[in-house]
Amino acid sequence: MKLPSTNLVHVLIGKAILETVLVGSLAILGFLTVLPPSFHGSGEVTDHGIAGWAVNSGSPWERVEVQLFIDGKFFATQVADEPRPDVPTARWALDEWHGYVFEINSLTIGPHEARVYALRTSRQGTKKSLQQVGAPIPFLVGSDGIFRKPPDAK
Amino acid sequence: MLSNEPMIAPDTKTSLARLPAGMARWLALWEIASVVTSCLIAEWAVLVFIGRSKLIMAIPVGLAFALMLYSHRERDESARDIGLGAEHFLGACRLLLIPTALAVALIITFGWFASQGHFGASWRWRFVALPVWALFQQYVLNGFINRRAQMAFGAGMKSIAVVAVAFSVLHLPSPRLAVLTLVGGAIWGFVYQRVPNLYALALSHSAVSLALALAISPYWLNGLRVGFKYFG
Repeated sequence: MKLPSTNLVHVLIGKAILETVLVGSLAILGFLTVLPPSFHGSGEVTDHGIAGWAVNSGSPWERVEVQLFIDGKFFATQVADEPRPDVPTARWALDEWHGYVFEINSLTIGPHEARVYALRTSRQGTKKSLQQVGAPIPFLVGSDGIFRKPPDAK
Repeated sequence: MLSNEPMIAPDTKTSLARLPAGMARWLALWEIASVVTSCLIAEWAVLVFIGRSKLIMAIPVGLAFALMLYSHRERDESARDIGLGAEHFLGACRLLLIPTALAVALIITFGWFASQGHFGASWRWRFVALPVWALFQQYVLNGFINRRAQMAFGAGMKSIAVVAVAFSVLHLPSPRLAVLTLVGGAIWGFVYQRVPNLYALALSHSAVSLALALAISPYWLNGLRVGFKYFG
C-alpha cells in the first residue's frame, strides 16, 4: 500500500467545507421554515382586554392564529379574523380581517404584561412554533376593573 | 548561458506531493473523523432542520462514500484487501459462529423473559434488505474505519477500541443500543483484524439485528431508532 498524496488532504478539507456549508444552509432553512420572518402585528390595551392585529405577509389571505400570554402564562387563543380597516390601509395586508380582541375579566388589580404570539404550524402539522407579534404590552388593572397603560409606557 | 544542471527536470510532483510518513497516522484519524461526522450529520442535522428528507440525507452519506472510495484509490487498496473477496469467508464464519450464536441466544432469551413469553414484533419485508444494509455498515465500520485505525495505531486493542467507539457513537442517543454496538463493534473489529471478510461480518450483523428487531420489544430499544429519530 502506498502513502497517500496531498490530494487526499485536499479532498478532506473540501469535504469539510462542503459539509459546513450544508449544515449551515440546513440550519438557516430550518429556522426560516419553523420561524419565518413574515409575521407582523401589533397590540394595545383596551378598557377590558387586549386588541390588535396579526398578519403573515408570506400568505396575506391567511387568518393567523394568535395566543395571548399574560405574565408569562397562557391565557387564551383565537384566530385573528376581526375587522381592522387600518391594516390594509397601512399595506400590511390585502384585506381588513386580521384583528383580534381578547376580553379579560379575571385579573388581579395591579401591573401586568401581555404578549401575543402567532402560532405557526409547519411540516404537515408535525412542528408548531410561537412567534411574538408586536412588542410586549404592559398595562395596569385599576380598582374599577378598567385596564390602562402605565404612566411611563410609550 | 549553458549550465551544468541536468536537462531532465526532477519529478517534483511525485516527491513533493507525497505526505511525510509521520503524518500518516493523523491523516488516517482525520479520515475516520470525517466519515463519522458525515454519518452524524445525516442522523442528526438533517432530521433536526429539515425532517425526514432522504434526498438531503444522501448528501453527507454520498460525500462520505466518495471520500472512502477516493481514499482506497489513493492508498491502492483493492476490494480484496478491504474484505470484499471470497477469501477468508469460511475462516471468518468459523470465528463468528460462536459469538453470533451466543448473542442471538441471549437476545431471544432476554426477549422471551422481558415480553413474558410473547414476541410481539411481526415480520416486515424490509428485513429482506438487512444483509445489504449490514454489508454497507460493515464496509464503513471495518472496511474503512478499522483499516484506518490500524494505520494509526496498528492492529490490536487500540484500533479495535476506535472501531467499537465509532460504532457506538453512531447509535447514540439510544443508551442500550450504544452499549450493544460497543460490544458488537469490538467483536466484529477483532474478527476483521484476524480474518478480513465483510460478507461473513454482514451475515453475523444481519442475524443479530434480526434477532433484536423480532425478539426485543420496541420499548427496550425504541424500535432501533438512532440519532434525532430516537426522540420521535
